[in-house]
Amino acid sequence: MSAVSETAFDNPLSLHARRILVTGAASGIGRATCTLLSQLRARVVAVDVDEAGLEGLQKDLAGEGHARSCFDLEDVERIPTWMTEVALAGGPIFGVVHAAGLPCVRPLRLLTPEVYRKVLLLNTEAALALARGFQKKAVGDPRGGSIVFISSVMALVGAPGAAAYSLSKAALHGLARSLAVELAPVKIRVNCIAPGFVRTPMFERMAAQWDNVELNRVEQAHPLGLGAPADVANGVVFLLADTGRWITGSVLTLDGGYSAQ
Amino acid sequence: MNSDAYTLITGASSGLGRQTAEHLSRSRRLILHGRDPARLIETRDLCQNPDRHLLWNFDLRQGNELEASLTRFIDLNQLAIEGFVHSAGTLDIQPLRLVERDSAHEIMEVNFMCALHILRLLVRRKVNGKHLRGVVFISSTASQFGARGFSVYCASKGALDAFMRAAAVELAPDIRVNSVLPGAIRTAMTEAMLDDVDVRTRMQSEYPLGIGEPADIAAAVEFLLSDQARWITGQQFVVDGGRSVNITT
Repeated sequence: MSAVSETAFDNPLSLHARRILVTGAASGIGRATCTLLSQLRARVVAVDVDEAGLEGLQKDLAGEGHARSCFDLEDVERIPTWMTEVALAGGPIFGVVHAAGLPCVRPLRLLTPEVYRKVLLLNTEAALALARGFQKKAVGDPRGGSIVFISSVMALVGAPGAAAYSLSKAALHGLARSLAVELAPVKIRVNCIAPGFVRTPMFERMAAQWDNVELNRVEQAHPLGLGAPADVANGVVFLLADTGRWITGSVLTLDGGYSAQ
Repeated sequence: MNSDAYTLITGASSGLGRQTAEHLSRSRRLILHGRDPARLIETRDLCQNPDRHLLWNFDLRQGNELEASLTRFIDLNQLAIEGFVHSAGTLDIQPLRLVERDSAHEIMEVNFMCALHILRLLVRRKVNGKHLRGVVFISSTASQFGARGFSVYCASKGALDAFMRAAAVELAPDIRVNSVLPGAIRTAMTEAMLDDVDVRTRMQSEYPLGIGEPADIAAAVEFLLSDQARWITGQQFVVDGGRSVNITT
């Protein structure tokens, strides 16, 4: 059974003609999400600082009407204005997926304000700014909309050296809960997906510093093994599409059983 | 998905179970479980491809006979069961001081123990080979929050979710086990309650997205059973229109 069967005229996951903005689109979870969205006939707005990566994504996208924007989300003040420009150029936006993220593994004594602020800026503040941009009349689709923040199981559990990353991702859960209640009257739903360890380029860079014992330990911690970016993308589209019509303020933990044991 | 394998839905003769059955019948062969044979036939008639589905008529309150009834049913029909949805549930709103032992036992039995007993049978090779793949329990946000008069119901759903996590860890990687936690849904059971203007007004204000439809829950069940959820296990998936994060009322 395929999630993306286009022959099924009543595919409940169909996002036909809806514009979805995806940050971190050049790689990993963001990229897999863009690919799946295009197969579900959405119009993708792919956002990343990696221009070459965005270029590379184009060949993966099915259908037409996609756009890309090379934008640095660390420029949080400019995010709402930039989103207005994106909407003016290509039409209103139905969904926002914040998959861009900065990893950080650093012991507390080395966690200077400069370091943790950078993590918070991209992982958390940018998410808030995206929501601020999205709720503007000139940006959002009048039919309503759906926001999905990619958080992490590190928002739910702890590990040495993970303080800044954990903090930045747990904040997304709090953000989503309050925005869910605040934006429900304007038909905008807000949810999080908390993935476990997924085989993304970000993960591979981190894993390159581990020995086999450590890698085995991480794999063993997931009863279903490590995840693939497409596994997370499947959850994202479920929350974006009408299948998630009555879901807001929820966290879908998508982690191969990591947090269950 | 094996096209000859079946998905068992308990509590399919009414409410969420019936609606979930209708939803899943488009893509799956179902075993519709319920205690009322007439209503079970009605459910089958509402399903797509009615002649593909089987009926297992059994009263889950007869816990001692469950094992014999289910194994005989599987054996007689030579069944392979790949999916299990426990939707059967019972509710008796009573202040704690008035709760009776028998009533408390019955709620625990139907809402929780039967899920355990059915699952332990479905993972026995002699009963169901190695066919089982996906399990979804219809839990409730009551497993996370308290409400007056709901003590036994809350406990039964809490037990169900705790069991779900343990089963998920034990049965991985071949079988995935998850819960869906619905908020208030418009069903035959709640229809009368929602007809009351005061209750409806209060509920509408508590639920940021309004009262839910059974299809909203069925969509989540279908997703969790499907291959699209192949990396999801041991999770409580809250589908409640934002009720549990809303403290403004």
